[in-house]
Amino acid sequence: MASIDYPLERPRPKEGEFSFSETLYRWVATVDHKRLGLMYIVTALLFLVIAGLMASVMRLQLAFPNNHVVGPETFNRLFTMHGTTMVFLVGMPFVAGLSNYLVPLMIGARDMAFPRLNAFGYWIFLFGGLLLYFSYIGGGGLSGHGSAPDVGWFAYAPLTSKAFSRGASTDFWILGILVAGIGSVASALNVIVTTICMRCPGMTLTRMPMFVWVMLIDSWLIIIALPPLTAAQVMLLIDRFLGGNFFNTQAGGSAVLWQHFFWIFGHPEVYILIFPAFAILSEVIPIFSRKPLFGRAAMVGAVVAIGFISLGVWAHHMFAVGMTSWSNTFFAASSMLVGIPTGIKIFNWTATMYGGKLRLDTPMLFCCAFLLQFLVAGLTGIMLAVSPFDWQLHDSYFVVGHFHFTLIGGLVFGLFAGMYYWFPKATGKLLCEKLGRWNFWLFVIGFETTFIPMHFLGILGMPRRIYTYAPDRGWDFWNLVSSLGVIAQAAAIALFIWNVIDSIRSGEKAGDDPWDGWTLEWATSSPPPEYNFEKLPVVRSSRPLWDLKHPHDPDWKFEQ
Amino acid sequence: MAHETHHGEAGEHSEQTHIEMPAPTFWPMVFAFGVALLLAGIVTHWAVSATGFVIAVCAAFGWWHDVIPHERHEEQPIEPALRPEPILVETRSVVRLQLGEGGHRRRIPEKIHPYSAGFWGGLAGGTAMAGLACLYGLIAEHSIWYPINLLAAMVIPDLGQASIEQLRAFNGLAFVAAFIGHGVISVLVGVVYAVMLPMFPKYAPFWAGILMPLFWSGLVATTLDIVNPAMNARISWPWFVACQLGFGLVGGFVIARSTSISTMQAWSLAERAFLEAPPRDEK
Amino acid sequence: MALAQTYKGDALTLEQGWHMPDRGTVGIAFLIVTESALFTIFVVAYLVYIGKSLNGPMPKDVLDLPIVATICLLSSSITVVFAEHALKKGHLGAFKLWWIATIALGLEFLTATGIEWHKLIYKDHLTIRTNLFGTTYYSLVGLHASHVIVGMVFLLLVMGVTFAGFPIQTQFRRVRFLSWYWHFVDAVWVVVFTVVYVVGR
Repeated sequence: MASIDYPLERPRPKEGEFSFSETLYRWVATVDHKRLGLMYIVTALLFLVIAGLMASVMRLQLAFPNNHVVGPETFNRLFTMHGTTMVFLVGMPFVAGLSNYLVPLMIGARDMAFPRLNAFGYWIFLFGGLLLYFSYIGGGGLSGHGSAPDVGWFAYAPLTSKAFSRGASTDFWILGILVAGIGSVASALNVIVTTICMRCPGMTLTRMPMFVWVMLIDSWLIIIALPPLTAAQVMLLIDRFLGGNFFNTQAGGSAVLWQHFFWIFGHPEVYILIFPAFAILSEVIPIFSRKPLFGRAAMVGAVVAIGFISLGVWAHHMFAVGMTSWSNTFFAASSMLVGIPTGIKIFNWTATMYGGKLRLDTPMLFCCAFLLQFLVAGLTGIMLAVSPFDWQLHDSYFVVGHFHFTLIGGLVFGLFAGMYYWFPKATGKLLCEKLGRWNFWLFVIGFETTFIPMHFLGILGMPRRIYTYAPDRGWDFWNLVSSLGVIAQAAAIALFIWNVIDSIRSGEKAGDDPWDGWTLEWATSSPPPEYNFEKLPVVRSSRPLWDLKHPHDPDWKFEQ
Repeated sequence: MAHETHHGEAGEHSEQTHIEMPAPTFWPMVFAFGVALLLAGIVTHWAVSATGFVIAVCAAFGWWHDVIPHERHEEQPIEPALRPEPILVETRSVVRLQLGEGGHRRRIPEKIHPYSAGFWGGLAGGTAMAGLACLYGLIAEHSIWYPINLLAAMVIPDLGQASIEQLRAFNGLAFVAAFIGHGVISVLVGVVYAVMLPMFPKYAPFWAGILMPLFWSGLVATTLDIVNPAMNARISWPWFVACQLGFGLVGGFVIARSTSISTMQAWSLAERAFLEAPPRDEK
Repeated sequence: MALAQTYKGDALTLEQGWHMPDRGTVGIAFLIVTESALFTIFVVAYLVYIGKSLNGPMPKDVLDLPIVATICLLSSSITVVFAEHALKKGHLGAFKLWWIATIALGLEFLTATGIEWHKLIYKDHLTIRTNLFGTTYYSLVGLHASHVIVGMVFLLLVMGVTFAGFPIQTQFRRVRFLSWYWHFVDAVWVVVFTVVYVVGR
């Protein structure tokens, strides 16, 4: 292999003077954490639109009874790809993208600990995603059956065995997720090492921004929880290609074991996905309340507690498979236990706002909506943790409503808050506030209209994953309402994308510190230079920028 | 990454002209592509895997050359144009509020009614309510014992099956049960009123006297079927609401007349622990 | 102004005392954590399926204790430590010797595994599809063996560049990380050995 020599001092053209091939090279070959972070986020947004369109088709199909927009096979593929995409190709890259972009800036570092591994992580994630979507072309496989995966996002055995899942679509599901998972683990490892080893002088763990803390625990969960999925998928590959018997019940194998393995990954994964929202709220709410985060130590304790307790709650997804009553009791209790640290977080965010000088800009609006919606999601979660209740509503639309409240009402609202908050840092331009408000209100209205009725439908007995229903079940009205909400949600997303494009082109200049921030990322220019900081900063409190802005009243006089 | 020897405040300028940053490289991307192809071959064709393997090995060597013997760096020039704006110093100084200082985290209400007011208010309200209920019994069923027996049916299930005549007649046991039950509930509700009354806006007795009984009636209306089916079957809702209003207005009036006392929130920790004499109430 | 100067003074003291852990060390430690999570699932699957096979051959009929291979692999952990120490002291000759010994012991382990598998497949007719024991046995031992092979590739690479005249002592840190990985592979073998050959029989 010939190595390429780079001249040490290349004349550096100004931005906008690059040729197309140079620009391409700068993006493809980059090891800069900020570029990789943006690439992750843009890719995630693309997949978000694709999976959102799939959801819209499903809602169109379910809007009326006996509808025939798509057939049952297509519907199965739609919900499988929707779920898989949203979890693995939207949620995970958002985790990686946000932590990539912000963690080094917040801890005063110039790059991640392993910049090349970081680039590898992004690309292998992207290729994994493309491999999954290649199933639409190549999924027919050897025997010519199927196209996209249609086994549900948790791919229960024995539905995934060769006998029931012919063709190669399930193999594409396994391999695509496995490959993307390598990227997630690589990026999580990188975040952990960066946080532990790359902090600027004075940035002790107690002074570390809450965002970095949450992302550290999030990455911990990723490296603990993702390998079980990879292991289970390797077992499934062995079953499908080498004739193994892991999940083959006819040879004494256990289909329930797949469920255990999947949910050992699957439940921590839910926390992995919601943590970025926690991280964003912990930064945005204090800034827009003009108060330091309430109960910092308790917040750190709560997030660490979730990082451990959430590893022991997985079987609450399996109350209906007939476990022993002791298992049911244990997992019901541990699931409720998670509610305590989560409750601490909600209380502390609220307490941060209490008595503060609130500025209701778009990021803060999304945070307020998060608090309410995530609270509802948490309460329905507690309901479902009661195993007899779960037996009634397992696999019903109540569950669908519950987890969409966590993942959209929680995660996506948090992500919007984060994107509105840090967009000026990444681009130097402010997102349009007026469009932001439209975006917010349309999204809130659309979200509530779509997902509140799902709870009712679940209680009325509508099961998940059905592609249509008879008109005499009493489900028509709420299904129609739910489908109508999609219009407002789609409009909100379209507005956001337009807002991003328009603001990059001709947005208001943001300046380096548009929100009067306190963490280090606001101390550098917008967008930050490749080296982030000319001099590595020295930190003496958890709000280094406050200290600089208020030399007569610095935080370090009061902390510790 | 080069060891940084110069630290400074966030956003400070440095005398250096260049900063060492990791050099761009596309080998990680190629390696990722190779690994992805290698695995994709499992489900497509072995030739894909073979290609992927070759690509991955080549990329691994390329990556190897990037980091061994030394991680490849490039010198990023520091561009003065990209320097952050200077951080503006806030000249206003901030005075920190001390614990117990006026206005600092004041909890509302600052003054509350004593529990004793609640006790007496509850008794007064309970009397008014009982009087109205007996009036109802006289007018509707020509017996003051009728509502008393109905109330007692909550704890004496036999009364649930009793006929109208039996309900009209005096029943000693029922009377005692109803008397105790009504008295205890009245006092408890009275104390709750006393606690809540300072939290209402202006004209507290009005709100507490009119609105709360209505809420309470609504709550009873939905649950009465479970706690007292006999009463639920025979109850007259207009009279019931009237009795509740009587309780609310009389009780609220009695409580509002009491002298408010201030909470301990303005006291220091030592005062609250009675290590020091508490400050005298201004009144 | 005076305040800014006290601040600078603090910065100086901070700078002298500010040491972060080495990123390679932390990186390899967490790599081992995540690899352990992967192995745990395979070990759990093995434990769950002990005695669940519906047909033979059963572990007690066909498995022999791989004593020699185990001793080889475990002692390779010791030789790699000696190699590391030699390199630290700059004794390149001793380093090469211990390094080759490590590779030889590792190869012996892999060969023994290969012979065992050959015997199981052709003499005892146990393949990955025969029964649950076959499936879990080949997966778990195979996963471990694949890790040994990865370690072996890196060991061979180091040997190759050393004999090609590359100044390997400049890469002492990376050699040490490789030796940690090798210790991890050994430790996993202790678990696999216990589960497969002791508990599982």
